[in-house]
Amino acid sequence: MREINAKLTQEMGDLARDLLASGEVKGVFGWTKGSRWYLTPPVFITKPEEADQLCYDEFAVNNLTGLLLDFRDSQDKIAIFVKGCDSRGIVRLVQDNQLKRENVLVIGVPCPGMGDKGAVTDHRQAQELPLLAKCLECRYPNPVLADRTIGGVTVTTEPSAAPSGATAEAAKGRGVGSKQADRFAQVEAIEKMSPDERSAFWQAQNEKCIRCYACRNICPACNCRECIFDSDKKNWVNKAATPTDNAFFGITRAMHVAGRCVECGECERVCPMDIPIMAMNRKLIGDLNELFGPYDAGVKPEEKPPLGAFKLDDPEEFM
Amino acid sequence: MLKAFPKDKLTAVLDTLAKQATLWVPSVVASVSRFAPYGPDREVQLGANTVMSPKEALFPATEKIYEYSAYGIDGEFTPVDPSVGPQILFGLRSCDMQGILCLDDVFLTRGYVDDYYAKKREEATLVTLGCVTPGPDCFCYAMGVNPAEHEASDAQLFDLGDAYGIVARTAKGEALVSALAAAGLLVESNKAPLPTGDFVLKVDAEGITEKLQHMFDHPLWDAFSRKCLNCGACAYICPTCHCFDISDKKRNAHCGVKIKCWDTCMYAEYALMAGGHNPRPSKKERVRQRFMHKLRYFPERYGKLQCTGCGRCIAKCPVNLEITDVIQQVREAKIDG
Ligand code: SF4
Ligand code: SF4
Ligand code: SF4
Ligand code: SF4
Repeated sequence: MREINAKLTQEMGDLARDLLASGEVKGVFGWTKGSRWYLTPPVFITKPEEADQLCYDEFAVNNLTGLLLDFRDSQDKIAIFVKGCDSRGIVRLVQDNQLKRENVLVIGVPCPGMGDKGAVTDHRQAQELPLLAKCLECRYPNPVLADRTIGGVTVTTEPSAAPSGATAEAAKGRGVGSKQADRFAQVEAIEKMSPDERSAFWQAQNEKCIRCYACRNICPACNCRECIFDSDKKNWVNKAATPTDNAFFGITRAMHVAGRCVECGECERVCPMDIPIMAMNRKLIGDLNELFGPYDAGVKPEEKPPLGAFKLDDPEEFM
Repeated sequence: MLKAFPKDKLTAVLDTLAKQATLWVPSVVASVSRFAPYGPDREVQLGANTVMSPKEALFPATEKIYEYSAYGIDGEFTPVDPSVGPQILFGLRSCDMQGILCLDDVFLTRGYVDDYYAKKREEATLVTLGCVTPGPDCFCYAMGVNPAEHEASDAQLFDLGDAYGIVARTAKGEALVSALAAAGLLVESNKAPLPTGDFVLKVDAEGITEKLQHMFDHPLWDAFSRKCLNCGACAYICPTCHCFDISDKKRNAHCGVKIKCWDTCMYAEYALMAGGHNPRPSKKERVRQRFMHKLRYFPERYGKLQCTGCGRCIAKCPVNLEITDVIQQVREAKIDG
């Protein structure tokens, strides 16, 4: 694994250096090695000599695509490295007209599955970590679109395709995608609760939310220029972090990404209060699949999201 | 000789204290560790720092200030009593005690007294616990905080291995220790407190305030801000961050409740002025404000860093924008001219 990481890191640096040196792009979003062995956070570089900062390994968990929103009003072309799950964020942003496709250079990387830093027991010495749930449940381990690739990864929109490229063996061995069938397990478990249990469950979650909006701010689908939760002036929402107001936020957020959530799992990963946000997203995905037919958001740019299109023969059950 | 209670008497100690006041203990509530009111089902976790800082006991995330109604010229308002009765905060770490000192500076000094904070602070007895095993993200030693004990608390606990030693520092602390003695829970111990273990994170903040005085326009802020999400996670879990907004919870057009609720300089709306001008228009200015406030403006005004090294923001920042890394890079940065 270490050798594969070193090779991918090398390839990443070389490509970024070339792109910046030739002036093809103005900046590159990638990952860099953090302060501890289990941290590989985002980095943005703008000069060829900064390309050495780039690093790739099984801790490069951040989906970087949401950061592109800072460039939505810019004409600068930006390069960005994407794993399979991340790549769907690009489709999301392009479909939502937040990003001009020609202003972003997408570089696909093979993914070995990301380690769960919550399982670290020795903070000084590297150890084997279990995969994050989102990686065990992953159905798109390969980029769904890319202008360039490194590590020989295959670009494909095929659901449940096997992991490809330099990390393919590692990904299979580590269990990437091995729990795809469990994607809706949590939703089913919550649906089996009695109404009182379910209410108590969500009440406990809503009591925890601190309205930090990390879930919203990391999300490529949460891309409104102005979010109603930023201002209480219009009196639709207020800033009180009470369980009722938090529930209003949580449900509004989930409904707003319905049919557009690309299942990158970032919202849940970044929530400091450990709120099972993906359960809400998955509930809506399940419902949409049932009502409108199976649909994976952010896979095919030309396919309209079920709630973003209308047909003349739509059944209007509520009329 | 130290007064002490055996660890297996912890429940009896807490039961005794809970009779006197609302007792806040570190615990895990719905999978998040935080200070929570003690009760029969509450499991106390003294082994590690909490995710949420204890500031919520003195400075709640949302607090009512007054209720109002205004029909025509008939206005009426009913203040909300800031008192919550006596509280004991049990098992605070040195970093969290230091955080409360920062809140004291802001809410109680320089002629600006926040009645809502002041009342709760006055009613609170603070019991600190010396750290034995620093967490992976801790760096209090670098922020001028002694992990082994904090001299500003009302009473200090020491881990003696099989018992907790307790030393009273103030009249409130004496009262608490006497109550435990009266309940027959205290013994004498000649054991020494366990030493504080090694820190994983290494950082040196020497001279940081002076260095930052020359770095308002440094390109570093742009670099840091590129990955920041401008969420409020770092500020809301920080024991020292104290910004709040005064807002309404309206019942209808005429009546409602005024609330004081947490706010953060990371939000775009935070510095937005009437008329639409925003002096901190982009992430760069907001990120700069966060670190400048903690490491430069606060020390300039109050003589202490506004970071206690608790490591919470390091643990929870979604993009791993570490304050220790900021300190390091600021110290290494070249300044023009
Ligand atoms: S990240 Fe978690 S705590 Fe923060 S606003 Fe979202 S749900 Fe609430
Ligand atoms: S809602 Fe969560 S899982 Fe869906 S796209 Fe946004 S961050 Fe990713
Ligand atoms: S530093 Fe981290 S936690 Fe703080 S606002 Fe930026 S992304 Fe959020
Ligand atoms: S800035 Fe971070 S490390 Fe410092 S006191 Fe606040 S949460 Fe703790």
